[in-house]
Amino acid sequence: MRTPEVEVVELDAVPALGGLYARGVAGSARAAAARRRTVRPDDLPATELLVRGVRAEVEHLSTYQHLLGETGQDALPAGFVHVLAFPVATALMVRPGFPLPLLGMVHVANQVEQRRAVRLDEEMDLRVRAQDLHAHRSGVTVDLVAEAWVEEELVWTGTSTYLAKGHHLAPHSASTDPTPLPSPDNLVSEPQGALGTRGSDTRSEEGAGRAPTGQWRLGGEVGRRYAAVSGDQNPIHTSALAAKAFGFPRAIAHGMYTAARALADVGPARGEAFVWHVQFAKPVVLPSTVAVRVARADGEAEGFSFEAWSPRSGRTHLTGGVSPSS
Amino acid sequence: MAAARTPGSQTSSGPTPGSTGAGGDGSSPRRAVVVGGNRIPFARSGGPYVRASNQDMLTAALDGLVARFGLAGERVGEVAAGAVLKHSKDFNLARESVLGSALSPETPAYDVQQACATGMETVVGLTNKIRLGQIESGIAGGVDSTSDAPIVVSDALRTILLDLSRAKTPQQKLKAVSRIRPGHLAPSAPTTGEPRTGLSMGEHQALTTAAMGITREAQDELAAASHHRLAAAYDDGFFDDLLTPYRGLTRDANLRADTSVEKLAKLKPVFGKHLETPATMTAGNSTPLSDGASTVLLASDAWAAERGLPVLATVVDVEAGAVDFAHGRDGLLMAGAHAVPRLLARNGLSLQDFDYYEIHEAFAATVLCNLAIWESEEYCRERLGLDGALGSIDRSKLNVHGSSLAAGHPFAATGGRIVATLAKQLTAKGPGSRGLISVCAAGGQAVVAILEAA
Repeated sequence: MRTPEVEVVELDAVPALGGLYARGVAGSARAAAARRRTVRPDDLPATELLVRGVRAEVEHLSTYQHLLGETGQDALPAGFVHVLAFPVATALMVRPGFPLPLLGMVHVANQVEQRRAVRLDEEMDLRVRAQDLHAHRSGVTVDLVAEAWVEEELVWTGTSTYLAKGHHLAPHSASTDPTPLPSPDNLVSEPQGALGTRGSDTRSEEGAGRAPTGQWRLGGEVGRRYAAVSGDQNPIHTSALAAKAFGFPRAIAHGMYTAARALADVGPARGEAFVWHVQFAKPVVLPSTVAVRVARADGEAEGFSFEAWSPRSGRTHLTGGVSPSS
Repeated sequence: MAAARTPGSQTSSGPTPGSTGAGGDGSSPRRAVVVGGNRIPFARSGGPYVRASNQDMLTAALDGLVARFGLAGERVGEVAAGAVLKHSKDFNLARESVLGSALSPETPAYDVQQACATGMETVVGLTNKIRLGQIESGIAGGVDSTSDAPIVVSDALRTILLDLSRAKTPQQKLKAVSRIRPGHLAPSAPTTGEPRTGLSMGEHQALTTAAMGITREAQDELAAASHHRLAAAYDDGFFDDLLTPYRGLTRDANLRADTSVEKLAKLKPVFGKHLETPATMTAGNSTPLSDGASTVLLASDAWAAERGLPVLATVVDVEAGAVDFAHGRDGLLMAGAHAVPRLLARNGLSLQDFDYYEIHEAFAATVLCNLAIWESEEYCRERLGLDGALGSIDRSKLNVHGSSLAAGHPFAATGGRIVATLAKQLTAKGPGSRGLISVCAAGGQAVVAILEAA
C-alpha cells in the first residue's frame, strides 16, 4: 500500500506526548469545524517519521516490568517497545494533512511481530507510517505501523489499528475490511448498553465453555499508573469525570495495558520471536475484576491464546494470542 | 563414571542403575557435581539495580544460566534459592523466579534462608538430594537487594492496622484509627544488628578483631589483595563464562582495581571506635551493602554426560557450625573456624591438604581472625578440643580471584559466587585438586565445604 515516493521525516528525538495532545485536540477541533467526514484512500500522506538512536532507560523499563507483571530482565517486553514508539505514532497523527482526528480515535486491534527481543543496551531506530485506510461499519480504520530497527535489522513491527468513528471512506476505495472487527456497540467510545449491568442476557452466549485460568484485580489507580509509564495521558483513562464526558461510567483501562498483561500471563513460554495479536472489545471500567483465560493452542498450532472478560456480565474485553514465529 | 542413559529418562526421579552408588547396596551415595554457575555483576546499594527486586535479579541470573547450558524448557530436578532481606511478597521467591524464567514451569523450587550462608545451604540441600538419587539436577541460588529492602511499619502501628482490618462497625474503626500517634509512622528499615546483642555485625567483628589483636595494616593488605586479584581475574577473562551483564553493569561495581594499601590507610575507622584498643575497621576493609544474584548448576554425572555438559568439581562434604556469641564466649563470625576441624576430621584431611581456600570476606578481619584461630595452639586446644593448632595456610592459595571485599556481598548470593568460582579454579588446577570454603553468617553461624576437581 505504500507509495514509492515515501517522504522520510527525521525527528531529533522521541517527541513529548503532552505537546502532541495539545496539537491533536486543536487539529481535531479544526477537523470538526471543517466537517469533512469523507476520506479517500489516497488521503494518507506517504510520510514516515524516523527517530534514530532510541534507548530504553533502566528505571522506565523496571517500572513498566513491575506494573505489567513482566520479569525484570534486560530484554525489553514487546509491549514496552510499543510504549517507546507510541509518541512517534502520535506525532504522525497530529501532523497537518493527516486525514483523521486524533481525538476520539478508538484502538480496535493491535499486532506485534517480534523477531527477537531488543535488549536494554541496544539503540533502536524507530520508523512509523500510516497505511491501509479501510471502511468500517461505524467509521474508517487506519493502521499505524511502527518498526524498531537495531543496526539495519528489523526486530519489531507493531501495527495498531485505530477507528475514527463517524467518518466514511470514499466509494471507489477498497471494500469493507474483511477482518472481523468488533461490532459497533462493542466499541470503546460507544458504551451505551454494553457497560451497564444488563449484559447478563449475553452471558450464556459468550461465556459458554470459558473457564478462567486467572484474574486481574484492577484498582482505580491502574489507568493513572499505566498513563505514567506509557505517557498515554488520555483523560478517559485517568479521570472518572473526563471518562463520564465521553460516556463511560468511570475511567477505563488502556487497551494496551490489558494486552500487555495478557502477554505477561503467557510468560516466558512465548519465546523471543513471536506474533502477538489482540482484538479489543468492551473496555474495562476501573476498578474491576477481570476474568482471564490463557490456553495452549489446540492441535497442530503452536503458541497460546488468551481472552479476558467480565465475570459479572460475561462480555469480552479482549481476545488474542501469541504464536511463535521463525 | 558417567553412565549413558536414554533420552527422556531424566524425568525419572529415582536412582539410575548405571550410576555409581545410590542403589540399595548399602554403599556410599553417588557424587554430586558442579556443572557451572552464572551470576549478575554485583552492584553497590543504590546503584544500577536500585529498582530491581530480588525476583528480578534472581530470574536474570537464572536465565543467564539456562542460556549458558541450553536448559530452556527443561524440567530441572529442583531449584533452591533464597534471600536474606525478604519482602513478605517474596514468600515463594525461588518458585516465582522459576516461573518467570525460561525453565520448564514444571520445575519445582523451594526457598532457603540461613542469613549469609543461604547460598551455601542451597548447594548443600540440592547436592544431598542428588547424592541420594532423589533428583538428577538442581540449581542453587541466592539473591539480595539492600536497595529494594523491605521497609515495615512500627510494631505499634502494625497492631493498630490489624485491629482496624478486623473492625466491623464505624465506631470500632474510628477507635482503632484514633490510636495512631505520629511516632508510630516512622518506618523501620532492616539493620545488620544482632537481635540478641543489639550490636551490628561490624561491632561484633570489631570485638573479635581487638581480642585477636589483628592489625589495621593486615586488614588493609588483605582488602587491597582482594581488589587486585578480582581485577586481574576480570582482565584474564576468568568470569566470562560465570557472569551475565545486567542493567548496564558488566563488572562488580565495588571493584577498585587501582586501590592500594596506602589509599586504604587513609580511610577513617567505622567500627570499634569505643573500645579500649584503637579502631582498625574501615569502609575499605569491610564489605559494602550490595545488590546481586548468583546461581550454580548441580547435577549427577549421568545427567551432565547426557547433555555433554562439563563437570567442574565434586561437592565432597559440608559442615555447618554455630558459636555462642551471645555470652561473649566466641566471636559472632567465628563459627567457620569451629566447623572446619570437624569437617577435616571426618574426611581424614589436614588444613594444609588444599590447593585453594575460599574464606568469605565479610570483613578483612573475619578472614584474619579465622586464620589466627587455626594458628593458635591455645584456642585449638581449649575451644576446639584439638590436640594442637591446625596450623597456618599458604596465603597465596587464599581467595585467589578476590572475594567479597572487592566483589561486594549481596548476602544470599555470596555462596553461589564462591562455589562457582572455586569449581572453575579446581578444574583449571587439574584432577585431584581440592578447595575449602568457609562462609560465616549472622546468628553466629557458618557453613563450610570441601570441593574437589571432578
